[in-house]
Amino acid sequence: MSDIATTALLLSLLIIMLASGVWVAFALMITGVLGMALMSSAPIGPILASTIWGHSHSWSLAALPMFILMGEILLRSRLSDDMFGGLAPWVGRLPGKLLHVNIFGCAIFAAVSGSSAATAATIGKMSIPELKERGYPESLVLGTLAGSATLGLLIPPSIILIVYGVATEQSIARLFVAGVIPGLMLVILFAAYVALVSILNPILIPKEQERYSFAQKLRASRRLIPIFLLIAGVIGSIYLGVASPTDAAAVGVIFSLLLAWTTGSVSVQMLKESLLGATITSCMIAFILTGAAFLSVSMGFTGIPRNLAAWIGSFELSSYALLAALTVFFILLGCFLDGISVVVLTTSIIMPMVEQAGIDPLWFGIYLVIVVEMSQITPPVGFNLFVIQGLTGIDILRVAKAALPFFMLLLFAVVIVVIFPSIVTFLPTMMTKN
Amino acid sequence: MRKTLDRLYLCSGALASLLIAAICVLVCTQVVFNLITRFGGRSVNLTIPSYGDFAGYFLAASSFLALAYTLTRGGHIRVNLVLSRLPAPLRLISEVLSTTLCAVVSLYATYYMARLCLESHEYQDLSTGIIAIPIWIPQTVVLLGMSILSIALIDILHSLITTRTSTIDSNSESATIGHGSE
Repeated sequence: MSDIATTALLLSLLIIMLASGVWVAFALMITGVLGMALMSSAPIGPILASTIWGHSHSWSLAALPMFILMGEILLRSRLSDDMFGGLAPWVGRLPGKLLHVNIFGCAIFAAVSGSSAATAATIGKMSIPELKERGYPESLVLGTLAGSATLGLLIPPSIILIVYGVATEQSIARLFVAGVIPGLMLVILFAAYVALVSILNPILIPKEQERYSFAQKLRASRRLIPIFLLIAGVIGSIYLGVASPTDAAAVGVIFSLLLAWTTGSVSVQMLKESLLGATITSCMIAFILTGAAFLSVSMGFTGIPRNLAAWIGSFELSSYALLAALTVFFILLGCFLDGISVVVLTTSIIMPMVEQAGIDPLWFGIYLVIVVEMSQITPPVGFNLFVIQGLTGIDILRVAKAALPFFMLLLFAVVIVVIFPSIVTFLPTMMTKN
Repeated sequence: MRKTLDRLYLCSGALASLLIAAICVLVCTQVVFNLITRFGGRSVNLTIPSYGDFAGYFLAASSFLALAYTLTRGGHIRVNLVLSRLPAPLRLISEVLSTTLCAVVSLYATYYMARLCLESHEYQDLSTGIIAIPIWIPQTVVLLGMSILSIALIDILHSLITTRTSTIDSNSESATIGHGSE
């Protein structure tokens, strides 16, 4: 079977290229070129050029730089400074007290930024010193931060869901809406875990003296309220169908500029940095998407994904068994690759297999993102671990150990979503009825 | 030469970021027009013709013009895990080989992109929107971006060989984290 030999060869070459420092986008493109050269007689160069052009100018992809820019602007506003003071009065009475600031702070920031590393860095910069000074246990401080920052991938507007939507031609609006309930479910799971640990070991949690009246709480969080409104506006307008994600994102940029302006953080320098930062991130993702698009096209010519689907199909696995196997595979892959690369590799090679197994691609997108979230907190390559190591100087393995309970909670969430798929599909279905 | 190249990367990066700002302005203007149309009654109907097409072309132009700038700022993702653990000589060899490979593929893609542009120009391909734009115009911007990327890769390869150190290295790690968008 030369087919199997060629597939194995391509896979090994991809791994060797990635390991020896070939940029991910190029590694995908080169694998595509080799695949076509070995297994088809199609004209490679012209197809490469038309794929590069064809996949780089879509309207829905324009949402990507807009959402990234919105995050960059809010990142440079005083939002993170206000987060701790604004949330602390509300969670002071919950079991686990101010540890919940990490969870809810990450959830809010995740919703506006869509980036897990930026979420960990922004919230952590503020909360780690505050919480340590008050005597909260290190493992819980680091764990809640590392775990909750992964919410950035799921809670809309999510960059990685745009990547998945563009790569699989799913509606980005529906993907965003599908991410809402699983995202909230994860927030509740994380908060419940912290509460449970604190009730079981009350010694761990330092006492908080301050009490606030309702009016004081509102006053403390007055700067957070516009952010809430911004998130609600962006997601709400997409849900109601009055705006496409690209429209909502562009308007979101203007509103986040207004917000930043009211806190006096807008300057020419700040605008320049935000724009250039957004340009770099958006270019990086767009280039990976181009590489992945060409790999998909090439794989179509080679027939590898079809054969793979047929091969897996011949085992007649139940969809549960298939998902269990895929979950293990993704966790392993995520130990070495970043989230976006995992997603684009998946969509170019194993999507036919997933569809053949009768799995809803919309649901699969959310499932994939939760699994990729886990990969953010697994060593040796977990971006959140790197960020927290950079912030605190604490060794990456110790951070990973602190994050382990949250890894298990994410795994638990995957199980729930597999058993009750309507958690994902409920809201998008309601959307079509409107 | 060094200064000229750095200025080339920076200028194309700056142009790319202006295009992103332009997408934002374009889309927001259309949203305001939509609102006016919705509440202004039947007499008003404002639309920017083919604004979706324009946003797409701006995006493509921005993504490709920014390629070299992103590369030199360490913005493109690569796996550092193995590379950073290799002894220095082996690491240099590995980087030279991988950069050469990327430069070759980049030149290959640039060549075929140029042919695609010529073809579109020759056959007078037009976009399908209300305003028919000759496709070769936005395609040429993509070609320009690919060409600058090829130049940047050759530039990096050259300095890898002559100075034996990577020019990206110094800011690669922080940039990957800051802009990893994970």
